[in-house]
Amino acid sequence: MELALGLANYALFMGVFIGIYAILALGLNIQWGYSGLFNAGIAGFFAVGAYTSAILTSPHAAGRIGGFELPTLVGWVGAMAVAGLVAWPIGKVCLRFRSDYLAIASIGIAEIIRLVIKSEDVLTNGAKGINNIPRPFGDLPYVQSQIAYLAIVIVVLAVVYVAVERQYNAPWGRMMRAVRDNEVAATAMGKDIAFRRLQAFIFGAALMGLGGALFAHFSRSITPEAIDPMVATFLVWIMLILGGSGNNRGAILGAAVVWIIWSVSEIATDRLPHEYAVQAKYIRVFLIGLMLQLVLRYRPEGLLPEPLGGARNAPAATAKATPRNGH
Amino acid sequence: MTVIDFLNFHIVPGIVIGSIYALGAVGITLIFGILRYAHLAHGDLATLGAFLALALVQLLGVPPLVVLPFVIVLTAGIAVGIDRVFYDAFRERPKIITVMSSLGIALMIRAVVQVVWGVNTQTYTRGLVRPDDYFGLRLRDREIYTVAAMIGLVVALQLFLNRSKWGKAMRAMSDNPNLALLSGIDNRKVVMLTWIISGGLCAAAGVFLGLNTELKPMMGWSMLLPMFAAAILGGVGRVEGAVLGGLIVGIAEELSVLVLPSEYKAAMAFAILLVMLLVRPTGLLRGKVL
Amino acid sequence: MNKKVLALAGSLLAATALTGTAAQADVKIGLLGGITGPIAAMAPAMLLSAELAISEVNGQGGIGNGEKLVQVTGDSACNPQNGTDAATKAVNIDGVVGLVGPHCSGAVIAAANSVAIPAGIALITPSGTSPEITNLKDNDLVFRTVPSDDYQGRALARSLKEQGMDSVAVAYLNNDYGSGLANAFKSEFEAIGGKITTFAAHEGEKASYRSNLAELAKGGSDTLVIFDYGDGSGLTMLREALENGFFTNYVGADGMKSDAPIKELGANNLGTFLASAPVGEKSDSLDVFAKNFKDIGGDPDAVFVTTSYDATFLMALAIEKAGGDKSKVGAALRELSSATDGEAVMPGEWAKAKALIAEGKPFVYKGAAGTYNFDAAGDVPGVYALFKVGANGFEKVADMK
Repeated sequence: MELALGLANYALFMGVFIGIYAILALGLNIQWGYSGLFNAGIAGFFAVGAYTSAILTSPHAAGRIGGFELPTLVGWVGAMAVAGLVAWPIGKVCLRFRSDYLAIASIGIAEIIRLVIKSEDVLTNGAKGINNIPRPFGDLPYVQSQIAYLAIVIVVLAVVYVAVERQYNAPWGRMMRAVRDNEVAATAMGKDIAFRRLQAFIFGAALMGLGGALFAHFSRSITPEAIDPMVATFLVWIMLILGGSGNNRGAILGAAVVWIIWSVSEIATDRLPHEYAVQAKYIRVFLIGLMLQLVLRYRPEGLLPEPLGGARNAPAATAKATPRNGH
Repeated sequence: MTVIDFLNFHIVPGIVIGSIYALGAVGITLIFGILRYAHLAHGDLATLGAFLALALVQLLGVPPLVVLPFVIVLTAGIAVGIDRVFYDAFRERPKIITVMSSLGIALMIRAVVQVVWGVNTQTYTRGLVRPDDYFGLRLRDREIYTVAAMIGLVVALQLFLNRSKWGKAMRAMSDNPNLALLSGIDNRKVVMLTWIISGGLCAAAGVFLGLNTELKPMMGWSMLLPMFAAAILGGVGRVEGAVLGGLIVGIAEELSVLVLPSEYKAAMAFAILLVMLLVRPTGLLRGKVL
Repeated sequence: MNKKVLALAGSLLAATALTGTAAQADVKIGLLGGITGPIAAMAPAMLLSAELAISEVNGQGGIGNGEKLVQVTGDSACNPQNGTDAATKAVNIDGVVGLVGPHCSGAVIAAANSVAIPAGIALITPSGTSPEITNLKDNDLVFRTVPSDDYQGRALARSLKEQGMDSVAVAYLNNDYGSGLANAFKSEFEAIGGKITTFAAHEGEKASYRSNLAELAKGGSDTLVIFDYGDGSGLTMLREALENGFFTNYVGADGMKSDAPIKELGANNLGTFLASAPVGEKSDSLDVFAKNFKDIGGDPDAVFVTTSYDATFLMALAIEKAGGDKSKVGAALRELSSATDGEAVMPGEWAKAKALIAEGKPFVYKGAAGTYNFDAAGDVPGVYALFKVGANGFEKVADMK
């Protein structure tokens, strides 16, 4: 009985994390999957969202701004707005760089954001982080509280999914893919490419900010350790590419599969004798890397590839002739 | 601050660190230019090289500089092996697949280093090496070796690229792959050469970093971003650009404490990079725009 | 599609459940460490000292009626994501009755908030030093054996002043450990009339700190206080400072009192290096622990090993006292730590403590890193001493008040 309850708790916890990472992956899908923008600074927007919501909703604390104790929903909307707002000048400046340059520029900006968060005590409480962020239904007992939060995450994810999917099928989405696949032709058709790209960049960044806010409220805290590039940027990339870039369901599935591998691999390597308990953790990281190789090798289009011919639920009118140019 | 202090405490360390960045950045820029993807395992490959050297130093009881050539060859071989086993299968795929794959390789290499050598901080030779005085300039012998080796390796590489048949083939692949392939260049051989050169230089970067400071399993990973900044700064595909970029990043980091709070030291490389990309998107020495 | 995910998750869970329920009679405790990630160099020694405590418990009668105390090791990777994940697994899959760790403050706060506190599982961190841990609304479940940086920073300030160092430069690692110590040190040192000539944070893992050191030296002080880790960037900084002679005297806190500087730089080069560290009131405790830890191949001077040992030993005591009932472990910890009189229990004396618990007699655990009287927030004040490097490693110079 206790074990069943434990498993339920673990599954709920995984569900929440998968949901949060799925939102990040959907944000990245808009940028990379739809528009070909190589944003390697996910951690930066994640951080901006998490800290914005933390500052807006947490109780007053000495030595830093914030303590507005606003409702959580305001925090989340604020997180999206501020993440989008931060993305705007960055996009304005950086989107003229092509793929790999954009990647290194965005990674640099994310690092600068991380350093600011670590160092500016007045804004973010510096290295100590912000604590006592309210979790909706956080006063309920363990299981109920996790169920409630999972329900919220699922609702948010569903709304995000519908919104992103609509955009995919809408003329906007078709145009973005046209821009991505053949920029010259799209320009020739009179599309304002720079502006469209900026839209995609801001939209994606706002979702990343939302993901950050959801994470901060679930953990009831946000610290600079949470915005390490490995767990906040590269992991999301692995999820999207593995799930199937350009496919929203693929992004969600990728988040689920990668997080499950990431988490369950530890239970697997714990089967080693306990003298090797420490080594087992290194081996686990090795296995995660190896697993990534295998999936890339045998499902190179991702688990759910981008549907050919653009719009789902619509007759495949014009199949894309040229294969994706992955830069 | 006197001029000599400025040289000793900002310019000299900047040049030494810059030389280490440069050794890594040359490999990154070659892979960028010829294979056209960002190789995220480059830092961890450097870590592996540094620890292989440690193993040889402890086994044979000789100074690290003696084993350097062997480690360069060994790591070059490992790089070719990684390419054959993993990256090669993705050659016809979108490049992002290889980028993700290299991220996985980075994790795998680091895990191997941690299992084999443990996680403790180690050094090649224990104790302190106090700098010698050269007319007021304070230099440690290992710093002179670092810069000299970097210059030697890069000059040799440039000679190879400009004079030899295969070097020219590599440059041709970097400039125009379609034309190069049409003119009968063996793609596989060029790929292999790229990995031999990048892997070897990468190992040298790791060994010199270890020689100047300490060996840690995360040493290469934390060097990855400055090395990328250096490669882009210099212009993708340009070897001398990568060297210049590495030196600029190294010196800029050491100068940054004069103008910025010291916790922002790591931001300096990126700030320069962003400005550079805005003003001159092709890099300092006109590289290609990918 | 969601069904598929659920089915996949379900089958994986079932698979792990089948393998995970072997010996139910054992009492499990979770050891969560930053095994991979930025503090990977410190974690193995800390886990080893925790294992020493566990093996002593099992060697001297175990828990209750001879049940074995079994460790469940989790990797918190020094970030909240993996920290909460590891804590969730330990609590829910393995059914641990108490958590020792995580090691890094961010992971501690997140794991406490989303796992330990809601699940009612007591948590002791041996190394989470952030003052934010004090501010947790923790239902008296979250404790730490490492004193909040505040105490050590202030004690160090007073000791240095006593040693006649009136003017110092301060360099600190820009994380919760470094900045917490540095700020506490600064406010106390300046309050008692000391002068801080330069005060600068640095990022870890850089290859050169010479320009930082040149800036620090500009203030004209001949003493540098480094709040960093002796097997990380603190070592690089100390090396470069010594090689270039930027300062004459060097001072560190417990993070710098690590074996690595002696091993890598040489004791003969560290004649002017002082480090503070927590010690037991009854310093025999530290000696006993040091001997036992050396016997299993551990290094007693490694960072946070004493606090890690004490955290595990205290957790075992609390589990014994609570009769293995996880809902009572937190209260038992509180009770144990409020005892001020009674017999003294030293590290390694599990059988004695077990007998005292059985008889219901009060006792005081004199740990390797001090006696633990947790205050209302679960923090301990701590007792410190100042160490110098001698021929046989660190030697105590003076007690710190």
